[in-house]
Amino acid sequence: MLAGIRPGQSARLIAMLIASVVLCLSVVLGGSALGASAAETTASTSTATEQSILVWVRTDADKVGVPNVSISVDGDGGAETGVTGADGKAVIPVSEPGTYTVTIDEDALPAETGYPRPSTNPAKVEVFEGNTEVPAIFFLSPDNAKGAVAAPSDESTSTPTPGATGDAGAGTTTAPVTVDTFWLRFWPQLVTGLIFGLLIALAAIGASLIYGTTGLNNFAHGELVTFGALMAYLFSGVMGLPAVIAIPAAMILGGLFGWAQDAGIWRPLRKRGLGLIPMMIVTIGLSLALRYVFVLLFGPDRLTLPNSTKPFLVIGSVSLKFTDVAGAVIAIVVILGVALVLTKTKIGKAMRAVSDNRALASASGINVERVIRVVWVGSGALAALAGVYVGYYQSLRWDTGASILLLIFAAITLGGLGSAYGALVGAVIIGLIMNLSTLWIPENLKFVAPLVLMIIILLVRPQGILGRKERVG
Amino acid sequence: MPEKTLVSDITDDVIVPGVKKKDPIVVAHAVSRRFGGLTAVDVAHLEIPRGSITALIGPNGAGKTTFFNLLTGFDKPNTGNWTFKGKSLAGVPAFKVSRMGMVRTFQLTKALSGMTVLENMRLGATKQGGENIFISLFKPLWKAKEDEITERAMQLLAKFKLDTKKDDYASSLSGGQKKLLEMARALMSSPELVMLDEPMAGVNPALTQSLLGHIVNLKDEGMTVLFVEHDMHMVNTIADWVVVMAEGKVVAEGPPSTVMSDPAVIDAYLGAHHASDLGTIEGQLEVAEEMESDLIRSEVEQDAEAAGIAVPTHEPAHSTDAASTPVDGEEKK
Amino acid sequence: MNGNFIWLTIGQIFDPTVAAYALATIGLVIHFGFTGLLNFGQAGFMAVGGYAFAITSVIYDWPLWASFLAAILAATVFALILGIPTLRLRADYLSIVTIAAAEIIRLSVKTPEFSDVTGGSEGINGAARAFNDVNPLPEGRWGLMGTPLVYNQDQWWVRIVGWGLVALACLLVFLLMRSPWGRVIMGIREDEDAVRSLGKNVFSYKIQALILGGVLGGLAGVVFILPRSLQPDNYGTQLTFFLYTIMLLGGAATVFGPVVGSILFWVTLSLTDGLLSLGIEAGVLPLTTTQTGPIRFIIVGVALMLLVIFRPQGIFGKKKDLHFA
Repeated sequence: MLAGIRPGQSARLIAMLIASVVLCLSVVLGGSALGASAAETTASTSTATEQSILVWVRTDADKVGVPNVSISVDGDGGAETGVTGADGKAVIPVSEPGTYTVTIDEDALPAETGYPRPSTNPAKVEVFEGNTEVPAIFFLSPDNAKGAVAAPSDESTSTPTPGATGDAGAGTTTAPVTVDTFWLRFWPQLVTGLIFGLLIALAAIGASLIYGTTGLNNFAHGELVTFGALMAYLFSGVMGLPAVIAIPAAMILGGLFGWAQDAGIWRPLRKRGLGLIPMMIVTIGLSLALRYVFVLLFGPDRLTLPNSTKPFLVIGSVSLKFTDVAGAVIAIVVILGVALVLTKTKIGKAMRAVSDNRALASASGINVERVIRVVWVGSGALAALAGVYVGYYQSLRWDTGASILLLIFAAITLGGLGSAYGALVGAVIIGLIMNLSTLWIPENLKFVAPLVLMIIILLVRPQGILGRKERVG
Repeated sequence: MPEKTLVSDITDDVIVPGVKKKDPIVVAHAVSRRFGGLTAVDVAHLEIPRGSITALIGPNGAGKTTFFNLLTGFDKPNTGNWTFKGKSLAGVPAFKVSRMGMVRTFQLTKALSGMTVLENMRLGATKQGGENIFISLFKPLWKAKEDEITERAMQLLAKFKLDTKKDDYASSLSGGQKKLLEMARALMSSPELVMLDEPMAGVNPALTQSLLGHIVNLKDEGMTVLFVEHDMHMVNTIADWVVVMAEGKVVAEGPPSTVMSDPAVIDAYLGAHHASDLGTIEGQLEVAEEMESDLIRSEVEQDAEAAGIAVPTHEPAHSTDAASTPVDGEEKK
Repeated sequence: MNGNFIWLTIGQIFDPTVAAYALATIGLVIHFGFTGLLNFGQAGFMAVGGYAFAITSVIYDWPLWASFLAAILAATVFALILGIPTLRLRADYLSIVTIAAAEIIRLSVKTPEFSDVTGGSEGINGAARAFNDVNPLPEGRWGLMGTPLVYNQDQWWVRIVGWGLVALACLLVFLLMRSPWGRVIMGIREDEDAVRSLGKNVFSYKIQALILGGVLGGLAGVVFILPRSLQPDNYGTQLTFFLYTIMLLGGAATVFGPVVGSILFWVTLSLTDGLLSLGIEAGVLPLTTTQTGPIRFIIVGVALMLLVIFRPQGIFGKKKDLHFA
């Protein structure tokens, strides 16, 4: 399927790809003001000939690393000290295998991050010959008292014994559900689910249109979302512009980003006749590269957009921030706008025609390439808005988009691949299921519910809940 | 011209659609297949006579290929039952249908282009112990069988004049050669019924005669042939029996000479073009010029050019844009 | 930082992690390169194998052979659960199901509710104990021909076993792919309907390929955790994407491609790291040392794109061996 490559075309492609890398690097070389320290995010290989302990100090609430915590390690191989880095991690080398006691200095901890869970500090760690980065993880919470050291027990230490984590995250998980509290918890989850569904929908509609018009499963769609979030952060968090300017600016840049991707990568590859599966793998490469460009430029830490945590709207047990309400309203308006465009305008009808049957649309005089270009721009802008929304809704990071990518896929799959309305319905269902599932299953597993649902839908009704069965003959 | 099977050897009954055959190899009854609101196939009763060549014809969208898919287990009907050699095939998966002796080819050739011609042929052989994952690890266990099927493959390739290309990748073959390869590969399993879906489509006219010869040979060797075809010349030349489908139904059947003059067939199938001789390329061109489908037009034109016949020039219908972009449909199964 | 990184880079050639990646990629080559199954959940197979091994050996104290068997069985079961319903679906559907399944595994083992068995988000440590107990090598540290690459007996042991498994897997793939079984498998990659029309039970062959490649992934998961503790977040989607990069580096449908690809992948990462650090120390690069991490992965991402576009047959592959695109 690899078509003959014309030299000029191939050279242009290389040039573009190289240009994108050079661009990233030049930004860095230009002295990025935002360049924060980046963490090693994958497993390091064990090339060291010694053992080491990985100390990781994190907050209990949002699992963010706590930097600059002094650590002392004492054990068979002698005493060592260290300080956690920007990501809350510190790797302490130890010369001999054996049992070590890891202590973090609670006096130096800021009160707002809180203190370790009772009886987890100091922690006991067993290190075997050649083991590297044996974990010793401390969770901090303001709920804990300073120096809360209970009688040491096996349960409380970070030894390789299973169950060492004890009740990690217990604060967020299910208490016995009684009828009264069930409804108290039901309504907030319902509303959160709806809002989150709208957020996913913004990204999913675009991804679905891209799939419909080009047949491409875009694994780099999450990076469009992250891009929007980071742009909003740049404008409002760093430059201090008001949201009314920052959000549209992020959307415009998102649209431009979508256009640039299509013009720089996808259109040339379509012209080369690259198959859909290789193209899908190219999106994976792009996703990886973009993610780490984001780390390089914005650092590995969580960023937050200026936001008021004051309740804006309180109905019963449901309490919403201003940004939740405004975000939902904007999302609904934008989605209605997209629906109008798709049904009433010429370009919208052309998009649907191309999604339906590309060859036929092309034969009836529709400029397919132009339609695809518009779809990319629109998808970029919608994804950027979704990113902005995530930024306000939770917090944002270099992998914000990547972390919701599978939810976007789940929404598209649920609604029937390639259908914009389906994506909307699918997204709302995903949002609801995700949040309502926490009424019965642990909070940590809330991502699992929509993924399981997606798999089931693919198995029993691969055309999606709204899709119609395709003729196969 | 080949010896044709006499009508009286096929059936004694009055010839109407669904007529009983003396010795049917396939019997289909009340087979229907719907796609949403569209009924693609609705065959009340059809019998395919053993040991003869049967052609399945009909206009585009008549449900011929769908019917083929249903018979061979590649698609499942909504209703109906059908038998092969008296055994019911309802619910039998495609690979088992093939093992029972009913082997098909495809409209769009499915030569395995990343494999050599000889490997394609070997794949066609059945009962290979080496296809079991555990046996496959020990070459001595499957070497003898491999030699045997290689020898058989070379015989068939020689017959189809592909033996010189045995080590070439199938992707390097011409369209017609791929059709030949696909047919030869199907014969590796020594089938009783060979089902060919448009064996002539995309074949260079220079190859058509030899292809026709091969199909007639199948019959001489005792096999039954059922084929879907648009080429009326081919149908007239080699078919013993013709079945005409339109809108999913069998509208007529009988020996070629009778069917071709049946007014119902002319109406349903040939429409306004019955005056054109579809057996000649000029005739096909004439029809194709009037047809909407560019695909058919270009296909016919290629054949015409290959045969040295002048093609009337016309404006290209699409911008180059559309032609250079991959079509989604190609990726779909 | 000095020239030491050169030795570290050379050390990658024997590194057990590189062996683990090679082994997992051999599994992926069986799936994607030879059979055409778009498995985006190889990280899930590694996780399943690694967890089965660690849980049985650390928590239930099973003997070593039983733990290995548990890893193989767990990967087989995972392949069956995944394969039976999904192998009839279109290729891109399979990719989404497998990537989702791998994430479900990762998120589930992380959850505190199961931490009695899985260790929660901290994972499991000490899985290598039973493995090191059967180490026949005498205690001590040996270098390689006077180089700074000096390892102790356990480090040699895991290297020998890891690369031994890789060699066995390569032999297995070689034997299979020259046989009629391999012919059917490659036929399925080209066009499964054609193979079906020739009387082959395509579904059964796909399941066999999925199990085989999955078991290799599971064993890779075991080799991966022997020199380190088991951590759930190592098995994210990113791991699968790295394996795809490795596969495409070496050639998607080759026997030794995964080995070459894995070594090349890690050597490149290590070299980049070393060179960037050198550049930073020399003041040539205006970066902080922690920024070298992301740059390595940007290179991986861009390399993956360039490979698929310009050399889908792999760095050393011949054009005619191109079996994918």
